Amino acid sequence: MQRRDFIRITAASGAVAALEGCGNPDHQLIRFVPEEDLLPGIATWKPSICTLCPAGCGTLVRVMQGEAEVVRNGQLGILKMGLAKKIEGNPAHPINQGKLCPRGHAALQVTYHPDRIKTPLERTGQRGSGQFKEITWDAAIQQLVAQLSPRPTAANGWFGFITPPLRGQRKTIVDAFCDALAGNHIEFAFLAPEVISHANSESFGHGGLPTVDLSQSNYVISFGADFLGTWNSPVAQSIGYGNMRKGRAGQRGKFVHFESRVSQTAASADEWIPSRPGMDGALALGLAHVILRDKLRPATSAGQAGLLIDGWSAGLPDFAPEKVEQQSGVSRATIVRIAHEAADNSPSVALIGDAPAAHTNGLFNARAANALNALLGSVGKPGGINFSPAVGLRGTERLRSKAELSRMEGPGSIPIYDAVSPGTKPPQVLLLHDANLVFSTPAGQQPREMIEKAGFIASFSSFIDDTSAFADLILPDHSPLESWLDDAPESGSMHTVVSLAPPSMAPLHNTRSMPDVLLDLAQRLGGNVAKALPWKTYDEALQAAFTNLYNEKGKQSAKDADEFWSKAQTQGGWWSANEKPAPAGKAIPYPKLNPNPEFDGNADSFPFYFQPFASQMFYDGSLAHLPWMQEAPDPLSSVMWGTWVEINNRTAEKLGVKMGDTVEVASAHGKLQAPALVTPAIAPDVIAMPLGQGHENFTRYATGRGANPISILAPTTVEGTGSLAWAATRVRISRVGEGKIVMFGASMEETPQDTKHR
Amino acid sequence: MAHQWGMVIDLDRCTGCEACVVACHAENNISTVGEDQAARGRAKHWIRVERYFEGEFPDLKTKFMPVLCQQCDAAPCEPVCPTFASYHTIEGLNGQVYNRCIGTRYCANACPYNVRFFNWYNPEWEKPLNLQLNPDVSIREVGIMEKCTFCVQRIKAGEIQAAAEKRALKDGEVQPACVQSCPTKAMVFGDLSDPDSEVSRLARGNRGTKLLGELGTLPKVTYLQKDSWHGSENA
Repeated sequence: MQRRDFIRITAASGAVAALEGCGNPDHQLIRFVPEEDLLPGIATWKPSICTLCPAGCGTLVRVMQGEAEVVRNGQLGILKMGLAKKIEGNPAHPINQGKLCPRGHAALQVTYHPDRIKTPLERTGQRGSGQFKEITWDAAIQQLVAQLSPRPTAANGWFGFITPPLRGQRKTIVDAFCDALAGNHIEFAFLAPEVISHANSESFGHGGLPTVDLSQSNYVISFGADFLGTWNSPVAQSIGYGNMRKGRAGQRGKFVHFESRVSQTAASADEWIPSRPGMDGALALGLAHVILRDKLRPATSAGQAGLLIDGWSAGLPDFAPEKVEQQSGVSRATIVRIAHEAADNSPSVALIGDAPAAHTNGLFNARAANALNALLGSVGKPGGINFSPAVGLRGTERLRSKAELSRMEGPGSIPIYDAVSPGTKPPQVLLLHDANLVFSTPAGQQPREMIEKAGFIASFSSFIDDTSAFADLILPDHSPLESWLDDAPESGSMHTVVSLAPPSMAPLHNTRSMPDVLLDLAQRLGGNVAKALPWKTYDEALQAAFTNLYNEKGKQSAKDADEFWSKAQTQGGWWSANEKPAPAGKAIPYPKLNPNPEFDGNADSFPFYFQPFASQMFYDGSLAHLPWMQEAPDPLSSVMWGTWVEINNRTAEKLGVKMGDTVEVASAHGKLQAPALVTPAIAPDVIAMPLGQGHENFTRYATGRGANPISILAPTTVEGTGSLAWAATRVRISRVGEGKIVMFGASMEETPQDTKHR
Repeated sequence: MAHQWGMVIDLDRCTGCEACVVACHAENNISTVGEDQAARGRAKHWIRVERYFEGEFPDLKTKFMPVLCQQCDAAPCEPVCPTFASYHTIEGLNGQVYNRCIGTRYCANACPYNVRFFNWYNPEWEKPLNLQLNPDVSIREVGIMEKCTFCVQRIKAGEIQAAAEKRALKDGEVQPACVQSCPTKAMVFGDLSDPDSEVSRLARGNRGTKLLGELGTLPKVTYLQKDSWHGSENA
């Protein structure tokens, strides 16, 4: 017996004796001996990393002593421990510079969520029934070892691990584990920016999302990108936006936004220009046509990005303003004016993201916006777009390897979908971590059936969600605040950034860090798997990676690798002293593309374009379980605890739909019901819905709440990639009856007199 | 001279992202009330983002405006309180003493800004969500009115720290949670009695307006009106 255990047991039994007979059941709990030295009432700030979206913001966690009810060695008791109390932005971090978005604050509730999985679970009922029993970690890991011991092969069914896109050493570990088992690491996220990444490879020889230098821009054109809300690196972009507006004396940049509805980002634009869904590429080339025609910039300035576009050197005859007006609904005068303003007010920059990249012609749209950017001279320039420098650390290089890019070519290329196509064997063993495939895949693609075909499913998720409900075994991960974390953000800063964070607090529950479990599994499986993963723990792997980083890049910032490692832990990572964009890469070959979008469903039966959009509070739906996010009013609609269907006020009048009425939205692939939000901020032929709600299974706060727009989407893909074209579905809408919509600002209708626009 | 705390909110920077709203919940132990109570207008958001549309499709302008307690110098909420729970602090805040409050709700009726929130029930944090609570901020029970305090716990902590170090508070040293998190730096907080503080300097600018200033409430929050693009000749 160790000394600490001895003290713990004696202290525990003494406490029980002393407190016996107290009335409050809380007071009958034993008190464990604290493992940390903390002063009551004194806060310490620990660096961490926000994991709720791919931006990778650095955070500081306020940790104070508190008393938590915890189970230790099977015994419930009270432990004085350091508890995270608040999350702030880390002022030293180059991405978010001390700032944070609403979702980042709510990350605290992931750790303290009442429905977190507290201990390993084994399925007892039918798959998907949500019936589990608690088991020990030893039993859970032994089960998984037994499943993986007859190595899955192509013949007996493959091995797959589905996660959201990972970076850094966490990715290295997962990739190495999958490689050693000849399995597939499948990175899946509904909002994964694959199309933009792909287009950037073609146009600029650089996959991945751009870093936008808004703070020095004078003219910003956004094609549907929700860059102030959810797209790319929203906090970094918001900081830049603030400077673009008011950070330079006498110089206020202009912002023009094209989209069929007013998004949270569009709301801040000087001009919101409603445009027909999917015509963003035509609009970008319409602007380019005017710039070329009026000789505002030379055609050659667009380089490779221009050569990708048919008819570029001939001045884009197919995209004269008259033609683009017919296609996009934007007047020719507006197109000519915006083109001149953009060319006359350099540095100007064009952004594209979200729905425009999720049409069947999404890749074309992105290429077109890239060509416009190149023509405007904004690529690799201050006030324009740049690509963040990569680091030479194993596993932290560019997110998308060549193999992944080739996998994205052609429809149905995501391997998990291949698994259900006829003739392909389903996976023998499927591991899941935080990727909610069932929620984020259109019902028409049969995600449920696909998951159910897997021989054995183990999940590392912290919550039972629509997908992990199908697991046979759950090995719950620590929450991010309880884990070692590392990250190499793809965009948001021109510094080379490698984030690192030790745990901010001890684990509340009987959980284990996913990378640690993989390393443990590797040791038990032995052979090539153990060889591929030589580290005992995740932090040992991190330290090894940071030693490499020190040798390659960090010699100036510390006297030796140890100091480098400990400094990185205090600071929240390592970043280069200088800002230096990545050098241009090698362009990949490109196919010809159709410039026009195609929509699923004919216009007679389904007269409306259906446009789902990322939610400011719930992102892609993965944050719907957090009560702060549920009760925060949506910025545009002020809706709380629910979902809605956006419909233009004149359209609503024609259909007899009033605010809050329940409406049915039907596509050729399914239907849903939700309350109507009648608004002037959407085109008359468009119906829009936020992502987020409609979970069949996602804790007490989100289960059975609202409807999921993804469920009725057509399983169409973006031409030239395997990505889901989630903006390419048509729907019809009809009134069902009176309904209910909960809004915080139901009375906010008139502008106060003294704060009108000037 | 005592500090006179004030705020400037630049509507030309604000993007309505609501980082302030959630930061405030986290800092000030504001309980969520759930869907049914929210539907009855009982959700508590000490700061909210108001959204205004002007015009009709397709010529539509949108504007966001964060609204919180304006910490008025002539506050309508203060004289109506029978128990002096609502009172004016020496530093110009509209204080709310929770253990004096008997829940008449006169203050909420009198406030033209709709920024006072009544606790219709005892707050609940389903375990272990209670562990997120900030030990520096008291919990408000049923029957109590609550509102934005300009994060008075942060102000006090800053003043105590500065006094211990025998120095004056530096401009920008104290920031309420909303100001600290604002990504676009739309919000600036500071001492209005110091003419050189950033907040004083910005409040004097020609875009400055007060919300419902015509009521004579003398708000200490100044809104800087949204600007417009003046074209390339301005560059």
